[in-house]
Amino acid sequence: MAIILGAGIIVKLVLLLLLSFSVVSWAIILFKFFQVQRANSESERFMDFFWKSKRFDTIAFQVDRFAHSPLTVLFNEGYSELKKVVDSDSKSEGSALSTDLGGVENVSRALRRATNLEITRLEKYLTFLATTGSTSPFIGLFGTVWGIMTAFEGIGKTGSASLAVVAPGIAEALIATAIGLVAAIPAVMAYNHFQHKIRVLINEMDSFSTEFLNIVQRNFSGK
Amino acid sequence: MTSRIEKIDTGISVGFVVSAVIHLAVFLLLLWSGRIFPQKQTIQEAYYVDVVTLPVAKPQSGIPAQAESEEPAPLPAPKKAQPLPLPPINVPKTIAKPIQPVKAESLPKNAESEAFAERMARLERNSELRREEAILEKLRSKIKTGASKIGAPGAGGAESGSRYSDYIKSRLEDALKLTTSYTTKNPEVTVRITISADGKLLRMKVERSSGDATFELAVRRAIDLASEKFTPPPTRTIFENGFVFKPKDISNGASR
Repeated sequence: MAIILGAGIIVKLVLLLLLSFSVVSWAIILFKFFQVQRANSESERFMDFFWKSKRFDTIAFQVDRFAHSPLTVLFNEGYSELKKVVDSDSKSEGSALSTDLGGVENVSRALRRATNLEITRLEKYLTFLATTGSTSPFIGLFGTVWGIMTAFEGIGKTGSASLAVVAPGIAEALIATAIGLVAAIPAVMAYNHFQHKIRVLINEMDSFSTEFLNIVQRNFSGK
Repeated sequence: MTSRIEKIDTGISVGFVVSAVIHLAVFLLLLWSGRIFPQKQTIQEAYYVDVVTLPVAKPQSGIPAQAESEEPAPLPAPKKAQPLPLPPINVPKTIAKPIQPVKAESLPKNAESEAFAERMARLERNSELRREEAILEKLRSKIKTGASKIGAPGAGGAESGSRYSDYIKSRLEDALKLTTSYTTKNPEVTVRITISADGKLLRMKVERSSGDATFELAVRRAIDLASEKFTPPPTRTIFENGFVFKPKDISNGASR
């Protein structure tokens, strides 16, 4: 404790900043871990359910069971848009879907929009992890440089350069770099891990969108 | 029916709480284990008592060390004249008072004893004055030679009650504090030092090395540094002594 209390005000501020970075990073890591974990498991279950079901309206009734899956959101958006198109077609007594495929385009746009929203939601807060990973070592290094400058100033005043005089000041200064690395390393590792997981989810969403459009085109465009 | 599923990311606040708790727990754990916060080694200023000027039971040539101020210390209060054990003869109060501050009734009264008492008082005063003069003379000579400005206050190694080897040892210890550096655990180097009659370092010979080259170099540098302040040996002859250097202290070896 004395090593921190004995440090200068700038080093203390740097340590405080790094500590807050670390706390926020770990909060995001924990949150993202559970978010991605649930998204993966519920997506898997939803896909099973989706392929086993024969009708969209059956799926729409039970979709709340998979609330954390991004595929559920896509399905909801696509289904609601499809319903709107079908409703408008039946009102105008023709079949827009069968004539110019404008209805399929509508559904496709709705799915793209939902995909983008889900990507944004999944990638939320990840930029903070990237920022922590890239800047924390530099902030710590700044604290160290400042601490060493102060230590050398003190050494100059005492006029002694023995190890007993030099070592404590440098140790105080180096703690800033150490804490910077402690904050940065988990942030970088978590960022890379979540980026990979989210890329997998995006691919799943793209696949699902394609499958959904195929089904729509197969089953509704000919009516 | 197909209303969008509301997803509110409330998990982040839970994450904050858990993260804060984890950080606090890690901090307390490290604090408890004391690994990240080792005991800070405070650098204490080197205060030392110079053994060469310590008061001795029977001073012969030296005097006790004085304060470092240029002005001589205030003189001790003159001793009060002690009443002499004379026969109880009545003496007039006016004469007895200035000499003896005790009860007038107990003073001698006749002229003979009165004269005797006066003479004794005068002798005592004279002796007191001579003693004070001697002390003042010593102080003046000490200030003139400037002995108190070198190293330890008033330490020259020539005063009575001192040992020149202790004086050298204290200088070496001071120097070693500045140069100390070692790479092995508890290194120990024995060095024999020869000092000329005029206080110059003639020779230093490593008699026993611990194998720690860094510490040996530190010892050599300490000896070189300390030799700048050596005063001539009190006997005005070549001084030779072995010193055992350790990182924490120095002990005297055999002298010749």
